[in-house]
Amino acid sequence: MLDVALASLIEDMIDKAGAEGVVEFWQRVGDNLASRMGKEGYVGWTSFNVAVREGRTAFSIEGEVTPLTDMAITDVDGDIVGYLYAMRQCCYIPTIVRTRYSVGQMSPADTAVAEEYNATTHDIAVCNFCVFHDRFREEIAKNVTVSGNTLQCYLLATKGWRGDTKISSNNLGKINIDEGHVRALLRNYECVYALVMRGAHLKGEL
Amino acid sequence: MADGRMPDSNPFVEVATHLFLEDLAAKVGVAGLNNYLVGLAKHLAVSMPEEEYADWPELLAALREGQSILATFEDVRPVTDRCMATARSPFERGWREYAKRVGAFSRVHREAAELYNAKVRRTAVTSLHIVLHTFRDAASARIRVGGKGIRTEPLATVWVDGERSFPPPEQLAPLLERAGISKTKLGMLLRNHAEVWILEPA
Repeated sequence: MLDVALASLIEDMIDKAGAEGVVEFWQRVGDNLASRMGKEGYVGWTSFNVAVREGRTAFSIEGEVTPLTDMAITDVDGDIVGYLYAMRQCCYIPTIVRTRYSVGQMSPADTAVAEEYNATTHDIAVCNFCVFHDRFREEIAKNVTVSGNTLQCYLLATKGWRGDTKISSNNLGKINIDEGHVRALLRNYECVYALVMRGAHLKGEL
Repeated sequence: MADGRMPDSNPFVEVATHLFLEDLAAKVGVAGLNNYLVGLAKHLAVSMPEEEYADWPELLAALREGQSILATFEDVRPVTDRCMATARSPFERGWREYAKRVGAFSRVHREAAELYNAKVRRTAVTSLHIVLHTFRDAASARIRVGGKGIRTEPLATVWVDGERSFPPPEQLAPLLERAGISKTKLGMLLRNHAEVWILEPA
């Protein structure tokens, strides 16, 4: 029931600290949770992707994550430095459904926080929870090493409860992935992100 | 959802909410968190539709089928006309995920419960019980049976790790009488239930 009550919590927070205050609060919570998840190391991408598939990584706390191993990210030398990952279901959807069947409908506070985040930080949120786990993933990526390299996470695309989509052209540009490819993934997935070795020299970079 | 019951939440959202509350406690203290949780539970109950039932058996049937506001987050099993038992804590999945992925539950959740037990009534093991018990109180106030109000009272709480919380002995005996069960029966229920509580006309 905490998840349904969360909407009330957000409403109250907006009254006290404004939508921008809630965004800061969620980001701090993302930092805190990530800092408590501990460090992980993998010998290479194969072992990391198996761990993701088996739900053994810190990223797996969000739910079932699919490594899209046909969508590798390569550096200037053609070496694989990352992959795309996707979730079939946004982790907040069950809460939205539960709210629908208990309270009646989602609080407008949910949209208010997402809009604030989109306007000020990163135009990618389709609900207030995106604010938290965009930051959470960025932080836990720093605690995961693949072949000795820490990771960097780029949230690429999200699909909301009502079918609305957000695609981060900024992040797509950084990893040199075509928007059409990511848009096609949104037919089947609701959250798509990339994990890339930090400091990798990607194709297309100057 | 096939049987009309609520779908499960994603425990990650609950883990995040726990962290949210911990961050809040760091800002406003344990007493502030306590007040916040009480307000949160009341607000949640008030945001849900009111209910009316012709008589007590109709209410009990709604509870069994998960159709009442009181059965929204709990799988309620009426033991007698007045004694209700909840099989699994609605917070169990979130707590298990927290323990598995994050580690030991933050001490602040126990501290909030201790404050609540000292100031309100001795039935909470963690902060989450403040939400559940306050929600039940506020939700029962939204139900009319035969045109009259009803109320709830916690009898015993067992947390996921087995820790129990009861009212003091001098308060427990009259509560058991109102519930229509013996102390032995209560002990039996607590083996495999998370909550035992009273539901009665106001």
